[in-house]
Amino acid sequence: MTIQSTTGGAAAETAAPWALSLTDVSVTYPNGTRALKNVSVHIEPGEIVSIVGLSGSGKSTLIRTINGLVPVTSGWVTAGGHDVTRARGRALRELRGHVGMIFQGFNLADRVSVLDNVLVGRFAHTPTIRTVLGLNRAADRELALRALDSVGMLEKVWTRAGALSGGQKQRVAIARALSQEPSVMLADEPVASLDPPTAHAVMNDLARTSSERGLTVLINIHLMDLARQYTQRMIGLRDGELVYDGPAAEATDADFEQIYGRPIQGRDRLGSV
Amino acid sequence: MVVALCAFTALTCWPAIGGVEIDLAGLVRNWSNGADKIAQLLRPDLTFLPRTVAPMLETLAMAVAGAAFAAIISIPLTLAAARPSNPNPLTRQLVRFCINVNRAVPDLVFATVLVAMVGVGTLPGFLTLFLFDLGVVVKLVSEAVDSADHPYLEAGTAAGGTQAQINRATVLPQSWPLFANQWLYSLELNVRISAILGIVGAGGIGRLLDERRGFFAYDDVSVIILEILVVVVVIEVISNALRRRLR
Repeated sequence: MTIQSTTGGAAAETAAPWALSLTDVSVTYPNGTRALKNVSVHIEPGEIVSIVGLSGSGKSTLIRTINGLVPVTSGWVTAGGHDVTRARGRALRELRGHVGMIFQGFNLADRVSVLDNVLVGRFAHTPTIRTVLGLNRAADRELALRALDSVGMLEKVWTRAGALSGGQKQRVAIARALSQEPSVMLADEPVASLDPPTAHAVMNDLARTSSERGLTVLINIHLMDLARQYTQRMIGLRDGELVYDGPAAEATDADFEQIYGRPIQGRDRLGSV
Repeated sequence: MVVALCAFTALTCWPAIGGVEIDLAGLVRNWSNGADKIAQLLRPDLTFLPRTVAPMLETLAMAVAGAAFAAIISIPLTLAAARPSNPNPLTRQLVRFCINVNRAVPDLVFATVLVAMVGVGTLPGFLTLFLFDLGVVVKLVSEAVDSADHPYLEAGTAAGGTQAQINRATVLPQSWPLFANQWLYSLELNVRISAILGIVGAGGIGRLLDERRGFFAYDDVSVIILEILVVVVVIEVISNALRRRLR
């Protein structure tokens, strides 16, 4: 299975959600840390899944195996039928173009305008020479502006990203991912750097825009109430091993204690606002 | 530690064991000669000033042209020499090696060799300053880029960008202040260096300085030195003001 070289066009417009599949995946970092141990999980197209676990449990590693940011040591990862494990170079970049990602630290270029930050999402669909010469296509700008509009950030297009608040930055980051017209949305602790009211607002934006487009969504989160409220299915990781897989809303406190490997503490909940 | 350092310093000045001979007595012996020169230097002949204007402008032109051309070429070389913008260790080390070789050559050696290659005049001066600035800017900016945080790299990679796209759209705009800072600094250095490049035949005020010194016209030399001092200070003040505005 290889990625067709026809990016953009019809494929991008329909942006059908992808199924994701990890088969017996293990990741060992060069320093010897075993971050994932024989994890197998299948996610249906359009599912909204949370990955829960303490820090160091392998959540960040798992989510990064899906777009190949972390290479697997053994096992297979497929996304939308494409073999991520063996994709290299252009094929890998095109595959990544179909997978949007947002990060705990927002990962925006602070000195760059909001619009140019969002246009980063169009990289995989833009010839390198166009980006280097600074010749953005009108269609790409249009996509970027529409993505900004959908998270309510349209009036900030020309602002430097560094001048925004944390919640605004994460909305711009969501817009950047949406401008890819992705089939999958990955979110690595998207609200861990935000205060509680902002966290709920950003989670709402993420859930709303993703479900409007029918995306497959994978959210790393360590707060149990957010996982229950915003996701359908929950996967629990402890020390790199899959220890829970079930509906998020029905996960009991005992289930969380089993995932965390310790009693529930106050900081495991965001609290209602 | 301090004692050992002092002892080592003393030993390097002991000719009997191969150290250099520093003849401090010479300071006293030739004192009247030195005092004579200082007295002459303290009486600058300001009527000489008009003759220094054209060479000084030539010096400034060399300084600005060298810094400007180096600034343009420094952009791609710096991106190639910094780890965040060039993950390929082979090309990165190659560029770094060339820059280190360039920086190992003293500016006056560059000027002397270039004068021999392209002839006396402003061209070898300009080339010397260009090469010198390139070394300074690429080395210092690529190290600053290395030590800065670049969270947007991961986002650019995750979006399927090529390294060139990521560099152009994010790394470069993020690094403008680092570049501008060193460009202005290299201009400052140029004014200072180009003032003496003429001594080896590379044009500008240095050539006039060397000529007047050859005629033992220390009152004229004094005017030139004062003029260089004033120009260097003025350039530094302007450059500092510009750098503050970059913040």
